[in-house]
Order: sequence, then structure tokens, then C-alpha cells
Amino acid sequence: MTTTIAVPPATGTSSAAPRRRLRASGRRALTAWLFLAPSLIILVAFTLYPMIQAVYLSFTDYNLIRAAEFVGLSNYVELFQSAPFWNAFTNTVVYALVVTPVTVILALLFAIMLNQAFHGRAFARTAIFLPFIVSLGIIAIAWAFLLDPNIGLLSYWLGFVGIVPEQGWLSDPRYAMGAVMLVGVWKNVGFYMVIYLAGLQSIPVDMYEAARLDGAGPWQRFRSITLPLLSNQTLLVMVLALIATLQAFDQIYVMTRGGPFFRTETLVMLIYREGFQELRFGYASAISFVLLIFVFILSMIQFGYLRRKQVTY
Amino acid sequence: MNAQQPLRSARRGHLRVVMATTAAIAISTLTLAGCAGQGSGSADDTTTDGKIVLSFWNGFTGPDGPALQQVVDDFNDSQDEIEVKTNIMPWDTLYQKVLTSVAGNNGPDIIAMSASRIPQFADEGMFMPVDDYYDDEANDTAALTPAAVEASMYDGANYGVPVNYATMMMYYNKDLFTAAGLDPEAPPTTWDEFAAMVPQLSTDDNGDGKPDVYAIALADHETVPIFPSLLWGTGGGIVSEDGTTSMLGDPASIEALEFWVDLVTEQKAAPVGLSGADADKLFQTEKAAIEIVGPWMTTGFDEADINYGLAKPFGGPVDDAVLADVVSMGIPSNASDEVKEAAYKFFAYWNSPDGQITWANGSGFPPTRADVADQITESPYPAIFGAPDVADSARVLMPGVAAGGPILETVFTPALQRALNGEGTVEEIFTQASEEAQAELDK
Repeated sequence: MTTTIAVPPATGTSSAAPRRRLRASGRRALTAWLFLAPSLIILVAFTLYPMIQAVYLSFTDYNLIRAAEFVGLSNYVELFQSAPFWNAFTNTVVYALVVTPVTVILALLFAIMLNQAFHGRAFARTAIFLPFIVSLGIIAIAWAFLLDPNIGLLSYWLGFVGIVPEQGWLSDPRYAMGAVMLVGVWKNVGFYMVIYLAGLQSIPVDMYEAARLDGAGPWQRFRSITLPLLSNQTLLVMVLALIATLQAFDQIYVMTRGGPFFRTETLVMLIYREGFQELRFGYASAISFVLLIFVFILSMIQFGYLRRKQVTY
Repeated sequence: MNAQQPLRSARRGHLRVVMATTAAIAISTLTLAGCAGQGSGSADDTTTDGKIVLSFWNGFTGPDGPALQQVVDDFNDSQDEIEVKTNIMPWDTLYQKVLTSVAGNNGPDIIAMSASRIPQFADEGMFMPVDDYYDDEANDTAALTPAAVEASMYDGANYGVPVNYATMMMYYNKDLFTAAGLDPEAPPTTWDEFAAMVPQLSTDDNGDGKPDVYAIALADHETVPIFPSLLWGTGGGIVSEDGTTSMLGDPASIEALEFWVDLVTEQKAAPVGLSGADADKLFQTEKAAIEIVGPWMTTGFDEADINYGLAKPFGGPVDDAVLADVVSMGIPSNASDEVKEAAYKFFAYWNSPDGQITWANGSGFPPTRADVADQITESPYPAIFGAPDVADSARVLMPGVAAGGPILETVFTPALQRALNGEGTVEEIFTQASEEAQAELDK
């Protein structure tokens, strides 16, 4: 919808005669850019620029005090041959493969359950969502206390049921990963539940009516109506969940520090250890970049696969 | 739809652009101002009245913090040219922030840290050698405990001046000893005596297979390095005296490790997988009869009303060395001469008789100089932790070894955890670990 004041033709830039005012669409665009400007500036300054800087650093041996010396691909060569990297990689993949589906399925379950009215529904929704907004570091400290074998509440209660670990859950190589996975699920399930709830509430009720009239049972209704119509949300949730789990760090740092003997060390934990403890920022940047590419490729695959499964009725 | 409308909408659109621009500028300015405000820590080194201001970063967040502040205040009051401002933060925060701040010329003028970490930072070029401080006789450095002075040496130069000198003593719970049928005034003096007491001290009352009270709270990670210090008892160790060879695979080290791993895993003398903080909690809640730790826990244990005694830790068959932990303070390598001279004056005051008497009285730590020991009357702990027989056996772990930190974190601790979890024999695990440690040393 163009105003009649602006004279220049619709195509391309103006000719010799200068424009006195922008067309409305140009004005709208300018307004939009100006509103975006503060966030964009911060994003570029604090996310994009450091990312580019990190890529540059990954080709050097930077250690923060001495000037960075270019070392070419040696960081990358080293990391692909190092046992700690593959250990962290395996741990990260295992963590993601377990936590992502568990979180998503649990979130869907909660959403379906909490979509029906019952007393205390608001409380239940809040309770499940609350962990998402609390700092993960604090949650991890609280869980570490709960899981303490000698003075922890959870260990005390489990003792009544006869489950007494020989040593702490967090220092037992068999259970440490499970413990950090538990905290990871518990933290994010509320957020995905909210996304699913919004999706559930946008499914028209008459679809279910029609299906019920046609004699479809609850499981059939779920499979044919609910699940397909939630495909948008599922795509979003799965991508978000995968990206988040591949970067698991906070609760691992607080609860196990990557131990016992590196059994719970994920890629980001390794990056932290190499960068901030061993002071090898160049090497750590290389690992970060490899992680970035890995997450990117996985997300693209997910998008491609799940996009095709999207359904609208 | 007359000619008025397009004009009005055009003006509205124009107004919108103006508002959007103003909003954008305002938000950007506020945000950037907010971000820029932080981190301008201690750029200025002089105040308006011509005093030199030194920022002093340290990690004394516990009950010893006020004692440190008292000495700093006394120093500031005693003269007009220099003012020291403390910036106290948890030790891990300090270790993470210090390198980036010094590199960004935004850092402290005096940095305190555990002497065992100084070699790593000195190797990176963060610290300035302070040998000229020791050479100047006016600083009275001959009175300082030699172990405290030598702890901050690296590669032939000394990079720090002692802040505190802490020995690890054996805290033992007298009530638990009595309950176990042992003499509360006769704590174990040797490894074998302790081993004999373990069955009586580690008790499982409710029969669930896990002791409810343990003989000792022995941490294996994130702690003062008690386990490594146990290797000294048989004449073993992690690294040789000259810091070049790994001793982890030596028969003496293996012997010590086998003794203690067996005591913990088979005899259940201690829980497996404790961190330093867990061990402190265990002793504080009276679920462990013994803990070997430094003087900083006295306040906490006193407040928990524990009836405890202090004794020199049990000695090994060959040696009864006691672990000492030294915190030293140094100057960043990019400090100006003016800052350096001012810092030296503070160092001299801190280690002067007055400074040390105030420090020891307030913190319970032994003084860094033995000649004022009898003038410390307000706290009984300095005399205990600084007792001659303890001080004579005191030893710092891996002094002057830049790879010491990495070896402890990435080689010794994981190997110890593997051994305690039964992932192989002690000999296999630690022979392998010895090779890894040697690789770290050779880097």
C-alpha cells in the first residue's frame, strides 16, 4: 500500500531526483531495523564477534599472557587423536541420546496430563516449570546435597526402601552419569511442557469429537490427531533439547566436576578444563569449534527429517 | 479518503521513525553503559590525596578474613603514603579471574594464592620475581620459617612472600573415641595403631552394610592433598625432590597406596568419593572420628560444639612428614616500580612481629615467623599448629613444580579414584599414572 506522495517508481533505487520521504514499506523496514538494533548490536558484540575470535584463536596457541602464535591445524590434529576428547565426545553423545528423548516424552506426558482440569493443576504446572527459571548452578548444589550418601535426604529415604549405595551416587562411576542426567531432565522438562501445552490447546476440540464419533479409542486419537498436530512443537522441542543436551555443563561442573575419573566429562566440561584450568585457550577454542560444527550438522539433519514429518489437517 | 489522509499517515509514520530511533539510541546507550561499568576494578593507583592505592586480591572468605582485614587496617593506619584495599573472593573465582585481569591490565597489585599454584602462573609470565625483597636486610626475612619462604620458589627465583603457613593436624573426636572404647587422650601415632583402631571406630549400627560412623574422613578430590601426603610415610611421593622425575610407580609409593586403598575399601575406614568439603561436613556432623585438615576448621568445629582434640598426624613406617600449605602473595609482572616499592612495604608489615601477632591471634594460624610464638596469647591454636615437632616435620607438596597442579588434577586424583573404585590393582593403575605424570613433567 503505497502513499501517493512518494513519486519514484517501484523498481530499484531512485534516479537523479532525490527522494524526499521513504515509502511506507521502506519506513516500516527502517522502523523494524531500529527496533532490532539494540539486540543486534549486543548479539554481534557479545556472540558473533567472540565466535569469530574463537575460530581465529583455534589456529593459535594462545594462553592469555603471551602473544598468540599461529600454529595452523595442529590443535585440530591433536584433539582428534586425544583420548580425553573422544571420551568427552562419547559421554556427550550418550548424555544427549538419553536425556533428549526422555525430556521430550516426559514433557509431552506432563502436558497431556496437565491439559485436563483438576484441582491443583496450576500448582502442578508451576512446580514443573519452576526448575527452568532457577539457575542451574543452584539446582545442582541442591541436588548434590540431596544425593549426599551420608547427610542427604534422598539417600535417607532410599535407605528405608533398602537402597543403600556403598558410596555416594556422584562419586560412583556407575551412577554419576545417571545423576547428572536426572538433573538435566528435571531442569528443562517444564519449559518443553509449556510449549506442548500451548500446542495442545490450539488443537480444535471438534477433531476429537469427530474421532470419538467414528469410534477411535484414546490411543488412536493420540496417535492420529494429537501427535501429528503437535509436529511443529515436536520439531521445536527436539531441536532445542538436542542443542541444550549437547552443551551440558553447569550441573556437571557443580556436581561431579567431570568425575569420577572423567566418567561424566562432556565436551563443554573438557573445553572448560583445557581453557580455564590448563590455560590452553587455543586448544579449547578448537574443541569448541568442532562442537559447534557437530551441533550445526545435527540440527540441520533434525530440521530436514522432522520438517518432512510435519502435518496439518 | 481525501488528500489529508496520506499526509496524516505520512506524519504518523515519520513520528514513528523518530520515536524508534530515539528508543534505539537510548536502549543501546543504557545497555552499553551498564556493561562498560563493570570490570573497571582498580585502574587508578593513586587517590586524590597522593596516596598509592594497592588492590590486594585474596581468598580468605572464611573466619580468617576479619583477621586479615585487621592487619591491613593496621598497616593503612600506620602510615600515610600507601593504602591497601582488599578484594576477597572464593579461591576458585580468584584463580579464574586473576589471569584475565592481569592480562587486561585491569588486575590487582598484590595477588595471594596457594604457593603450589604459583609455579603454573609464574611459568605463564604473570608474576614478577621478588628476590630483591629477600635480599634487602631491612625486610627482616631471615626470621621467616624457611619452608614458608621456599614454597613460592620456581625455576631458581622466588615469586612470593608468605601470607600464611598452615600445617595439617589430626582432629579427633574424643566422644566418638570414648564410645568406641578407646582412650580419648591417646590418638593413634602411627599408621599401624590407626589401622588397629579402625574396626572399633567404623561402626555399622543399623546393619545395612554401610558404616554409620567412619574412622576417618579422608577426601580424594577437591581437597587439601592429604592422600598424596600419605605417600611420604613410606618414603614415596608423586614427584622427586628436584621436580623432574615421577615417583608414582616407585615401590615405596605403591606400598603406601596399597595400604591406604585397602584400609578404605576393605576395612571401610573412610567413605569413598569424598570431596574436601564433604569430609569437613562428615567430621562436623560427628560421623567421622578423625579428620586431617588445617587450622581454618577450628572455628567451625568449635561452633558445632564438638569435643575434639588436636594431635600430630599418625606417622608412616619410614617418615612422619606433615602436610603444610603455604599461601604466598606476589606482584604482577606488569607492575610499575612505584607499585612494587609500595607492595614491599606492605609485605614487610605483614610479616613483622606486630603484623603476625595480630594475624595469628585473629585467625588461629601459626605465625610465619617462629620468634613471636610466645607472644600470641589470644588463641591456643597457633601454638598447637606451629608446635616445634609439627613445624620440624612440615613439608609442602611438590614445591616449585609448574606441572604440579595438572598432575594432581588429571593424573593422581583420577588414578586414586579408579583404585578406590576397584578398576584394577593399585600397582597397574599407578604404574600407568606414573607414565602420565612423567609426560606432564616433560612438557
